[in-house]
Amino acid sequence: MKFFSTILVQTNRNLQKTWPTQFMTLLTVSLSVLIFSFFFLIYTNMIKAGERLGDDLRLTIYLEEEPVMEMQSQLVRRITNFSPVEEIRFTSRQDAYNRLATQLGDNVDVLDDLDPSFLPPSIEVYPKKNLSNLAQIKRFSEYLATLPGAVKVQYGQEWVERFNYFTKLLQIIVILSGSLLILTTAFMVAYTIRLAVVARQAELEILRLLGATNGYIRTPFLIEGFLQGLLGSTLGLLALFFLFRWIQLRFTGPGILQLIEFTFFSPTIIGIIIAASITLCTGGSFSSMRKFMRI
Amino acid sequence: MDTQPANKSIVEIVRATKIYPPDVVALEDISLSITYGEMVFLTGMSGAGKTTLLKLICGIEHPDKGMVEVTGKDLNRIKGAEIPRLRQQIGMAYQDFKLLPDRTVAQNIAMAMEVSYQNIRTIKKRVIELLQKLRLEHKHNAFAGNLSRGEQQRVTIARAVANSPTLILADEPTGNLDSKTTKLVMELFEQCNISGTTIIIATHDESIYRKSENRVLELHSGQMVQPTDRTILTPENMP
Repeated sequence: MKFFSTILVQTNRNLQKTWPTQFMTLLTVSLSVLIFSFFFLIYTNMIKAGERLGDDLRLTIYLEEEPVMEMQSQLVRRITNFSPVEEIRFTSRQDAYNRLATQLGDNVDVLDDLDPSFLPPSIEVYPKKNLSNLAQIKRFSEYLATLPGAVKVQYGQEWVERFNYFTKLLQIIVILSGSLLILTTAFMVAYTIRLAVVARQAELEILRLLGATNGYIRTPFLIEGFLQGLLGSTLGLLALFFLFRWIQLRFTGPGILQLIEFTFFSPTIIGIIIAASITLCTGGSFSSMRKFMRI
Repeated sequence: MDTQPANKSIVEIVRATKIYPPDVVALEDISLSITYGEMVFLTGMSGAGKTTLLKLICGIEHPDKGMVEVTGKDLNRIKGAEIPRLRQQIGMAYQDFKLLPDRTVAQNIAMAMEVSYQNIRTIKKRVIELLQKLRLEHKHNAFAGNLSRGEQQRVTIARAVANSPTLILADEPTGNLDSKTTKLVMELFEQCNISGTTIIIATHDESIYRKSENRVLELHSGQMVQPTDRTILTPENMP
């Protein structure tokens, strides 16, 4: 108890003495966490959006002839052997005609002069709803085109590919901003602690002469690093939350944002970001002490 | 404070030599034994090696030859957590004060007790007590940098004494003090000595050891001069 109260008094004294530098570091840590969390939030929401859009995704294989029952089970086996799927649905010429008639509604009379068997039979494949499957959808469609009797495979190629590229781009941005977070927090905190060590060299020298232990000298610096991580990440996440709320309120009208249901981080993710930030800052502080503090 | 047998050595120096680069011999072949509870005066002219000897005793410097043992520990061999533990048992009043100018007098004195994790209330009480003894109570919240040299000297003495150490080393403790304040400081050292603390005072101020019955060791050009008849004063040889 005496140890902690003494260390806390010492930490408080240190912070009072070096508060301008500490404040600047705190802002840098907050900004880094904000930038990283911002892109990470978009990324996680895009993945969720991808999963939702994936619900409507289906690959349609147009066939030359309607497959007999035996052929149908053979096709199902070959499809599922390549990739697990949600559902496989066979559509006969008649079913396709009926569906088109339903879709035309009042204009159904345009089909009057046409042969009911003019539409090709098809197989509708609903892939599993996850992003990795979405990314592999092109390869899957190429495989489906090689099935016996397949004439053409159709799916929303364009948006799937665009979405795929966009999520990949976001992934790169998240990795880059994550690296930025690691570099800035660890280096800035290490640099601040280094400055504090240099500024307090005379004091540390006297403390050593008076018999201060390593724990007494080092623990306040570690606490400073810990506080930088805790407060910096909390401030960054709070700023992101307010930005998130502002965007939600501001863009409530119809638009692209209406298609995507944006959600904030779960408490677990918030905890992980704060813990990572604390680890980085305390680690930076520790490495700086090892380098610049002779005890 | 540990109670130790009176005849046991707290400081044992055997043939210690200290040479500063390139070839300045600060101490040469010094052997010395100081027992627990003793009060010893270390005298000699400026540059005689008094400060170096104190630095060897508190482990700031290490001898190039020979051995220095304090509280039974060979200072050449101790490492890790033993060093701060030993330093907490030694109170050193530095000639150059080593105070933090941007800290108050009270904070400077409290540092010595804070490093050994003493209770905050105990620290406050002890600081006030020492300031009263040294007539510095009105400077409690003054910054050390704003004090006169004499006041700074008293603060460094208060800090050396604060943690009730086993051994007090004082380097020219009265160098900047008038006779009245010198008396106060010496009274404080005597009180500490009576309560069992070993005290080594390096000084060239003859007035503080002239009438003392304690041992006086003299250094000359880094060498120990044989004890004179001043070592033990009797009413007959008193000046």
